[in-house]
Amino acid sequence: MKRLWLLALAVALVAGVCAVGQAKTLYWNLATEPPSLDPSLATDTTSHQVLKQLFVSLCQFDDATMDVLPDLAKTWEFDATTNTWTFHLRNDVFWTDRNWTLSGIPVTAEDVEFGIKRLLAPETASEYAYVMYLIKGAEAYNTGAGTADDVGVNAIDKYTVAITLNFPAGYFPGMAALWLCAPLPKVAIEKYGDKWTEAQNIVTNGPYVLGDWVHEDHLILKKNVAYYDRDNVKIDEVYCYMVNEQSTAMAMYEAGKLDVNDNPPLEDMDRIKTDPVLSKELAQAPRLCTYRYGLNSSKPPLDNINVRKALASSLDRQSLIDNVLKGNQLPAQTWTCPGMFGYVDGVALGIGYPFDPEQARKYLADAGYPGGAGFPEVTIMVNTSQGHQKIAEFVAKGWQDVLGIKVNITNQEWGVYLNTCSVDAPQVFRMGWCADYPDGNNFMNDVFHSGSGNNYEKYNNPAYDALVEKAAVSTDPAERRDLYKQAEILICETDVAFIPIYFYTYNQLTKPYVVRTFASIGGQTWKDWDILDH
Amino acid sequence: MFSFIVRRILWTIPVILIVSSITFLLMHSVPGSPFTRERALPAAIQKNLEAKYHLNDPLWKQYIDYMYGFVRFDFGPSIAYRSRTVNDILAQQWPVTATLGGVAFLFAVCIGIPLGVLSAVKQNTLIDNGSMVAAMLGVSVPAIALGPFLIWIFALKLKWFPVATWGSPAHIVLPALTLSTAYLSRFARITRASMLQVVREEYILAARAKGLREVVVNLRHAFRNALIPVTTIAGPAFADIVTGSLVVEQIFAIPGIGKYYVQSIGNRDYPVIMATTLLFALIIVVMNLLVDISYAMLDPRIRYS
Repeated sequence: MKRLWLLALAVALVAGVCAVGQAKTLYWNLATEPPSLDPSLATDTTSHQVLKQLFVSLCQFDDATMDVLPDLAKTWEFDATTNTWTFHLRNDVFWTDRNWTLSGIPVTAEDVEFGIKRLLAPETASEYAYVMYLIKGAEAYNTGAGTADDVGVNAIDKYTVAITLNFPAGYFPGMAALWLCAPLPKVAIEKYGDKWTEAQNIVTNGPYVLGDWVHEDHLILKKNVAYYDRDNVKIDEVYCYMVNEQSTAMAMYEAGKLDVNDNPPLEDMDRIKTDPVLSKELAQAPRLCTYRYGLNSSKPPLDNINVRKALASSLDRQSLIDNVLKGNQLPAQTWTCPGMFGYVDGVALGIGYPFDPEQARKYLADAGYPGGAGFPEVTIMVNTSQGHQKIAEFVAKGWQDVLGIKVNITNQEWGVYLNTCSVDAPQVFRMGWCADYPDGNNFMNDVFHSGSGNNYEKYNNPAYDALVEKAAVSTDPAERRDLYKQAEILICETDVAFIPIYFYTYNQLTKPYVVRTFASIGGQTWKDWDILDH
Repeated sequence: MFSFIVRRILWTIPVILIVSSITFLLMHSVPGSPFTRERALPAAIQKNLEAKYHLNDPLWKQYIDYMYGFVRFDFGPSIAYRSRTVNDILAQQWPVTATLGGVAFLFAVCIGIPLGVLSAVKQNTLIDNGSMVAAMLGVSVPAIALGPFLIWIFALKLKWFPVATWGSPAHIVLPALTLSTAYLSRFARITRASMLQVVREEYILAARAKGLREVVVNLRHAFRNALIPVTTIAGPAFADIVTGSLVVEQIFAIPGIGKYYVQSIGNRDYPVIMATTLLFALIIVVMNLLVDISYAMLDPRIRYS
């Protein structure tokens, strides 16, 4: 059986290479060493970029529409009486290593159950285990108060897995597209322990296998000839550099060593936009992140709502984007970013505070500081970084010019900064947030609920909590949209808990011979890309 | 001499103990933990992580556990790179940095010292002034400017060397040159100053009076003694250079250990901070010992007992 399997693979390989004539290789820059290729442990975008190629999840996102599509699961249904999602799996997904020595072992419901339960096991110490606390019994197991058997994930039969939740989260299929719900190879993990993710040990099931991983230097992905949709995977190999310095990556792109440069240096943006060749290769795509200035409403003078309104209306976001950021970011007046379920176009609908110097001065006068007279100094704190510093300088100058107030800027090293913000947040502090899954719950509930650890503003409004709690359990999309809209108005306009500044974009340079898609969440989808003759 | 060396080696033990204690206390007293995140982790998750890395033990126990591992050459897991141990990182990244640093050090010595001698011998000539201006530039231009400049000329325009990354001898040239420039210039300046001082010594006058040729006076008598101050800075310079330059490794995308020195602190990756600091301390101690030994070889007046 094993020999037959190998023979079949060899034939497929030879046929594949002959058909194409020449193997297609994509040269990509990961920018840094992936901190972990263990789906239970990875928390960063670099690791996700690679994991997305190595492992299938229950579902996947459509890059363009963000719709949830089948992946390992062909279909799924929800049973409202038990709050259970049942996923029916494909029977043609197989485990494989880089040498194709596994003899067609199928990926089963048990592997999914093992993956999710391993994520939740306290000894795994997964940072993202809490994201799956909505599964019944998950929190108890993860905190040592329950057992794995009580977790609501069960393999019903070889290709059916049932996941029971604490409440009917309508957005769960989107969460099932996360790497956190990936089936995991129990045998390899138990055999190799922490080293199971090394190239010589890892066992995967996605469109690519890990051909080689030289730490800090490069990583090679090779097309998985046993992948269920192999006929539609056109690129045979992806060579990933780990060049952290943006100017070096730019030089490599221009020297033809990289096919894509997904993070061109800010200093080169003006040149790129005017260069006849580079300007055609530049594409800007939305990225599911929002940049904000948190306000500590317990510290005077920010305890005065009119002061907060004055600050929000004297921040010229478009000018910041045009003159400082230069990446065609979108000005934000609300929190949840475009592309997410529950996004509200604050600029078009007039929610929040647009740049309006006249109105800003009026708010400041209403607060008791006409023309800025008698206004105490305000401090903006950022974590130490040239980029954040530039933004802070722009904002401070704007506030000084428009409101006539004095603004200080200080910075702290990242770890110290986060500690300061959670213990005793400064008057104004910068924060960013990127989507884990494309639903408003991830922005509205996970950040600004009064019980959230991410709520550095210490925002606490029972009316807001009630809105986002209701939206979390509602299964009616129209009602959920409306609840999120009300919540946005409350937090960004009525209470001014923080100042949303901009929605992120990707700036990507791509060689003309690369046919690609643009993913705004969870890494690029190389299985859908192609490289033309060049 | 032998007892001197043995004594110095034994002294390494308290030095390493002191350095490790100070580092350990400092890194634990800085606010923030390895699990401080912008996306704050729930208390239960933090607890699991602290249990996994034994950060919930009392500090004294953590220190003793660490030192117990240290003497067995087990430097513990990396907290930021969860599938790797510190031993893996040292084994895979340090040889790269040491190679780069070794080549850069050779450049610095082989170019810097002859340049300094030449300048001293040809004092106040065009050669002297020209090389000292070049040395001044070498010290002043930072790697962050020189690196991209060299890439632009030698990789993008002339295409003599690869832009960046690691793997072949050709990949070493530009980063080694960038890394060596500051040291090369310093060696040249100190050699020159030292030579100029030594040639005024009476034994040089005696050598000249004996009728020795100028080349022999300069190279055999003056140069040997002039090397003493150069050797003094060469020790720490070597330690500096082989423990990595974050900037050069970053510019040329070299898989070295330099970034771990800096990044581990930001990440509060305690085991990596300890290991990189102790590695640096150990190399400094060894280099200083070698410097002291070479003194005795260079200058017959220096004797250890």
